[in-house]
Amino acid sequence: MRKHWLIGGFAGVLALSGLAFVQGGGAGADSPTTLSDFQPIAFPHDQHAGSEPGQNNMDCQFCHFSAERSVDAGIPSVSTCWGCHQAIPGTNNPQEVAKIKDYLDAGEPIPWVRIYKIADHAHFPHMRHINAGLQCQECHGEVQTMGVLEPQRTGLPAVFLGQDRVWGGDNMGWCIDCHRQPNEDGVQQASTDCSVCHY
Amino acid sequence: MTMTDGIKRRDFLKVLGVSSAGVAASGCSTSEVEKLLPYVVAPEEITPGVSTWYTTVCGSCSAQCGMWVRTREGKAVKVEGNPNHPVSAGGLCSRGHASLQHLYNPDRFAGPMIREGDNLRQGTWAEAEQLLAAKLRAASNVMYIGGNTGPSMNRLIDEFVSAVGGTRVEYDAVSDAALQEAARMAYGSTALPRYDIENARLLVSFGNDFIEYGSSPVAHNKGLSKMSAVDDHQSKGRFVYLGARLSTTGLNADEWIPIVPGTEAAVALGMASVIAGDVSDAGPYADVLRSYTPTTAASVAGVSEDAIRELAERFVADGPTLAMGPGAGANHRGATAAHIAVMILNHVAGNVGRTVHYDAGVTAAASSYADMESAVSAMAAGQVGVAIVHGANPAYTMPSASGFAEAFAQVGFKVSFASAMDETAAMADLIMPDRHFMEAWGDSMPRNGVMAIQQPVMQPVPHFDSKQAGDVLVAVANQLGNGLGSATFYEYLRSGHMEMHDASMGDFETLWADALRTGAVEHDMAMGMATGNAMDLQAPDTALSFDPPPMDSGGDLMLIVHPSPRFGAGEFSNSPWMQELPDPVSKITWHSWLEMNPHTAEQRGIREGDIVSVASGNGSVDVPVWLYPGIREDAVALAMGGGHTDMGRWATGNGVNVMDLLPSESEQVSGAQVTLVTSVTVTPTGERRRIATIEGSSDQHDRPIAPAVALADLGHAEEGDHEDDGHGPLMELQGVGGFVPVDANGGTPEAFPLAGTDHGEYADAHEKPRWSLAIDLDKCTGCSACVTACHSENNVPWVGEDQVLMGRDMNWVRIERYYEHVDATQAGELDVRFLPMMCQHCGNAPCEPVCPVFATYHTPEGVNVQVYNRCVGTRYCANNCPYKVRVFNWYRYTDENVPEPMNWQWNPDVTVRTNGIMEKCSMCIQRIRETENRAALEDGRPINDGEIVTACQQSCPAEAIVFGNIRDPNSRVSQVVSSERTYRVLDELINTQPAVNYLKKVTFHEVTGGHE
Repeated sequence: MRKHWLIGGFAGVLALSGLAFVQGGGAGADSPTTLSDFQPIAFPHDQHAGSEPGQNNMDCQFCHFSAERSVDAGIPSVSTCWGCHQAIPGTNNPQEVAKIKDYLDAGEPIPWVRIYKIADHAHFPHMRHINAGLQCQECHGEVQTMGVLEPQRTGLPAVFLGQDRVWGGDNMGWCIDCHRQPNEDGVQQASTDCSVCHY
Repeated sequence: MTMTDGIKRRDFLKVLGVSSAGVAASGCSTSEVEKLLPYVVAPEEITPGVSTWYTTVCGSCSAQCGMWVRTREGKAVKVEGNPNHPVSAGGLCSRGHASLQHLYNPDRFAGPMIREGDNLRQGTWAEAEQLLAAKLRAASNVMYIGGNTGPSMNRLIDEFVSAVGGTRVEYDAVSDAALQEAARMAYGSTALPRYDIENARLLVSFGNDFIEYGSSPVAHNKGLSKMSAVDDHQSKGRFVYLGARLSTTGLNADEWIPIVPGTEAAVALGMASVIAGDVSDAGPYADVLRSYTPTTAASVAGVSEDAIRELAERFVADGPTLAMGPGAGANHRGATAAHIAVMILNHVAGNVGRTVHYDAGVTAAASSYADMESAVSAMAAGQVGVAIVHGANPAYTMPSASGFAEAFAQVGFKVSFASAMDETAAMADLIMPDRHFMEAWGDSMPRNGVMAIQQPVMQPVPHFDSKQAGDVLVAVANQLGNGLGSATFYEYLRSGHMEMHDASMGDFETLWADALRTGAVEHDMAMGMATGNAMDLQAPDTALSFDPPPMDSGGDLMLIVHPSPRFGAGEFSNSPWMQELPDPVSKITWHSWLEMNPHTAEQRGIREGDIVSVASGNGSVDVPVWLYPGIREDAVALAMGGGHTDMGRWATGNGVNVMDLLPSESEQVSGAQVTLVTSVTVTPTGERRRIATIEGSSDQHDRPIAPAVALADLGHAEEGDHEDDGHGPLMELQGVGGFVPVDANGGTPEAFPLAGTDHGEYADAHEKPRWSLAIDLDKCTGCSACVTACHSENNVPWVGEDQVLMGRDMNWVRIERYYEHVDATQAGELDVRFLPMMCQHCGNAPCEPVCPVFATYHTPEGVNVQVYNRCVGTRYCANNCPYKVRVFNWYRYTDENVPEPMNWQWNPDVTVRTNGIMEKCSMCIQRIRETENRAALEDGRPINDGEIVTACQQSCPAEAIVFGNIRDPNSRVSQVVSSERTYRVLDELINTQPAVNYLKKVTFHEVTGGHE
């Protein structure tokens, strides 16, 4: 008799887990196999911001223009991309570059998939961090070496992703670790008062 | 009950546990991917995350206050007063804030609506305009109702109407027509007088509720606050209110003379006859003064002759003084005469040209109701081919006795410019939804010499295909071949101003840009306003009777009908902020109520909450009774704005329409609608309801909550007199787990943090600012603008009537109102205390030690912070709070309660809370952070005093609230708090060490009662 319960319970666990599994999109079941499966345009950060030979060594803030004066780093407008690409068809993926004109003509924004996100209940001011002298790479990783940004490829802990929570880790803890670092006077270099971010 | 071979409880629980663990293991993830949408072409003036501010003019009422609108990423999220505006000087009232809810109201029309049979279907603008042009071409009689939204729009409408050969009828539901006619008759002015309340030593209001409506509620509120401030000579202006019912304005008076409604003229003339040494001072009215003495006045007004004489003597003893005649909500059959009587009083007291000016050209709603009555007759007789209604809702605001609805139905083709459904639009054949004032161009001239431009602050809200009425008129006129000279209203506006411009004012484009930037330019634009001889009384050109006018006898209690401070005449009823804003007088939300004197109720066996049938000769309504000592025993009062039948989801079905009780009648002399005209019977129906009020008690119960100090006692306080003596050294509980008493060293905010608590980030807290608020209760008028400002800034949800009935309102700040002395039976002192109560940010907070998850704590800068994401909702903090300022999200009030695009209004800098989270006043911490960020970016400079302004402080027309760093001895808050009037609520009793300081109200009479 009791065995019925165990079997039933186990089956229930499998069923429910399976359901959740499918709902959650699976672990890698939907991962793109080609460059452009994830982002609407296969925009490679390394080609634009990288410093290898043949790469363009653009400053992050050329496109992410409001990082130094706003809470928001900013995403370049379609016209910003077109500003260069109207004359530069690109050599690696010209069909991807051509998509910019399609969006511009249609008057539609490019629907980038968000990679870096901090939860809505935390207010993160970009400009304070830039002003404190942080490099973008400290939190965002060596983006200038990355191709197309996709969640599993960034490998950074400090993100809540729309689709998967990478590492399920202590995202706030990562921020706190840096805030707690002592500066040269031995005092913690940034505030760990809850209300500087949570209000 | 036994279980058979089925499940045993223990096994069931095991299975449940295993299954749940299994689900948890695979994670609850969402399959939604978040997108980042860039601009296609980035606008130059928008930096994401940074606010862009625009200057414009508020279109909520005819006061035309200057307004600053904060936009984020092209969306208006907050409105504030424009400090540079010469009339409103930075204040903004609740209805001004509520205009945001009109902008994003989901009940706005999706586009032009064309009637087919019983239904309205959406059309295109081309279709709508062609249809209107066709109808106008074919029609014989066109009538244009309303539309007074600014001088240029007014001119355009006049030109349009004459081009189509029609007539124009101006209509304002609340109108100062009687005052305007009186000013014309007495001084030859075709505009309203300008009142300089600030400079009066004695202000006598004959039922003028100038804080709630009239030509400039914000400016008058500010003026009252300045007048009442104790000056360097230890004197203050005194405010005497004469009227049958205390409105918000009336509750601020130092004395109340509860005169019989309709006797204002008699009392004013009685006073004038005492003052006019030689009755020829009254010029052409000298014989009037001979007939109206204090004796006659006393015999009709229900007050003693001595009171009238004595008031008259004071009215000239210490000048200048000011008398204001009955307001737009108290028009009776002798309203013009009443105004003239008050003008005579001002005249003989020498106030003209000092505190009242007839040459200032003040413009505000002053249309004649008689014109509407003629319009209704014409419509009823089938004489009107096309009727256009703009900025008015006569099907609701006119009494049903007027027959407007039936007459309107006779019109061949009915057009409405309403942007959302209202009772008049519901009858229309064509609806052409106008733009909101924040989406449109316009102009404003609140008085001679002040010209303001109203500019759009954002693209029109995309959910609604709206078009500005001016553009529609221009387009239709063009179609009719009667072009008005411009292709758009913007062109018309600009060219009109260019024509009036002359080179002496400088370059036009520079002036225009200045007007857009600063909000108003001093501009001597003659708009055809005759000011006559503004100093000499002229003889009346019509027979006037100053006797108390006849009233209809519908019953035994006089009915006082007044505009609502929240809804106006009903145009703001579909704003959930306004529905849930506790009425400044009654603190009631959502439903209508009948104000009745407690003695009257007792005599009739009526209890508060009894639903009574109020009946006049014109109709009846059922409404619950609310007991109010601030109304005469022979009167009852009912506010406008309830009982909508078709005005959107929040207004429809709420409350009762008081207009059903009134006759449709205009005062003979001015054409003003008479609203103070009938008495009613009040009959219990046998039913009861609970009153949805947020009020706890109107009695302080001998606690030092809102103490006052007599003027005579100021400056005589002995050393340490006002300190909390006799209670022993104040103690603070501190240390881990709470509970080691430490001497709190006088218990002032500067003393914190205390020794022994300075570790971690609190170690250098003595160098950090200590944020503090100071609220001057002698300035606060209880208007509640701060409440709506706070709701708007902090994404405070509205909860609906049912939740308010359960005590679950979400006001972060509430205005408490305590009656200390209110006597409706005789002239005498009035003492009502208003207290804005919000989180006191206690240095010794009872809420902080009891949170099990450390969601609330004290920052090094002295703010009691609520960390929303930590809160698990035990509600112990609210339980412990002695001020009861913590509010809890029992439900997710921000889901379907806030339909698109109402959620566009949300402040992106403030977290939107979900259910299970406690919230409260945060001292606008988002503004503190924003300023800290800005200062850090500017080379880490210190924050300047006055740089951080809380939302409540910004909005207050009376400038009663000051925020700042109390550790800086030069800050304004420190200076204010150094006053001998400073106290903190309940601090002596419970040692909470609040960071919110209050300054006691100053009374003329001795303060008794054990709580000074």
